[in-house]
Amino acid sequence: MSSAKFLIRLAALLGLTFLVGCGVSTVTIEGSFPTPNISKLPLNVAVYYDQSLRDFAYMEYSETGAQEFNVQSGQSHIALFNAVLPAMFDGVVVIDSLDDAVAAEVDAVFTPLIEEFQLALPTKTKLDVYEVWIKYNMRLATAEGDYIADWVLTSYGKTPTETFRSTEAAINDAAVVALRDLASSFSLSFAQVPEVRDWLAQL
Amino acid sequence: MFEFINQSHVRSVRGVLLAALAVLAGCTSTTVDEFRQGETGIASDEAVVILGRRQASDYETRSEFVQCVGDRMARGEGAINVVPEQEFVDAMFPWFEPRTAPLRTRDLEQLMAENVVAEKMSEFGIRYIVWLDGFTETTDRQGSISCTIGPGGGGCFGFGTWEDDANFDARVWDVGSLTNVGTINTDATGQSYLPALVVPIPLIARVEANACSRLATQLKDFVNGS
Repeated sequence: MSSAKFLIRLAALLGLTFLVGCGVSTVTIEGSFPTPNISKLPLNVAVYYDQSLRDFAYMEYSETGAQEFNVQSGQSHIALFNAVLPAMFDGVVVIDSLDDAVAAEVDAVFTPLIEEFQLALPTKTKLDVYEVWIKYNMRLATAEGDYIADWVLTSYGKTPTETFRSTEAAINDAAVVALRDLASSFSLSFAQVPEVRDWLAQL
Repeated sequence: MFEFINQSHVRSVRGVLLAALAVLAGCTSTTVDEFRQGETGIASDEAVVILGRRQASDYETRSEFVQCVGDRMARGEGAINVVPEQEFVDAMFPWFEPRTAPLRTRDLEQLMAENVVAEKMSEFGIRYIVWLDGFTETTDRQGSISCTIGPGGGGCFGFGTWEDDANFDARVWDVGSLTNVGTINTDATGQSYLPALVVPIPLIARVEANACSRLATQLKDFVNGS
């Protein structure tokens, strides 16, 4: 009887081990983002992080359709914008609702959104690099909610395969490169966006 | 008696094989080409930064190789002050990211027109920027090794071999004159072997390490103007 119980337990354990091995692996993107060395614009800006950005996660599926990697990057995007925006503008406040913008007495409200996220793994591409590609929609409006600009930005990051590095660590590294790419292109191109440039000229 | 001869025979074959492979493993050939386009020299309060090119779609210069070259340039006779790559790139953010880094000296000239960049460059005391571009490729994999394990023990038997080729370009930009003062190319090739007689014995050709060492020595001499 005890031997039968032992066998059942062993089978259950083996089954669980098998299931865990087949489960989805969660990768929470973590990295440090330097403050950009750029000239500040004389603006007070409010930033609104939509819930979809805060909770943003991307699911990568295997070739058989099974969930493989759950890449959570919402909080790292917020950390990135919190590092970049104060270097770009004289004043930056984070607001919890778009309705708070008027009370914050800001010149504009900035709302970043992620539209698309793509992950390319060496097992699928047959290249020796992990790649991350992200498409953003950047929105700028007045404190009253009037349209100023709405533009698309893409960012790209890659990292080479290494012998003693896990897939999760490589995905994280590629995503951090993509986030740095976003920070560099956003901070350097902001004032060149045609609608933003026209609006800045009016101020 | 037969068992004794057999074991002794295996031992001597193993010994000869190991000795031959150890000699062969040392066979790494490295070629260094230098093309000088301008005068060089560096003061004791000036520094060099070595940066890896990461614009190519299918490879990128490994930061470990960049660090290896920097470490070797910073020690020994004629040592040079080398600013670590990550420290420089972070301090210069966002101007030296893969998308924004200057690809030509003309771009560097434009970049230096930005006060924040010029100030940081002067703060670090950067006299030369060295751009490293290249990778190590493994080709001609041959042979096979099989391993077995059983109640009485385990072991591997077989033979594997492959060739490594490390090819790196170093372009030296003079931050003072905003010109390209020279290019150094290093190409190192070597054959690695993995014989397995019970235990696999890796005899690895240290191709990238040799490329790093030779390139660093050449770069040090080049920057010092010797």
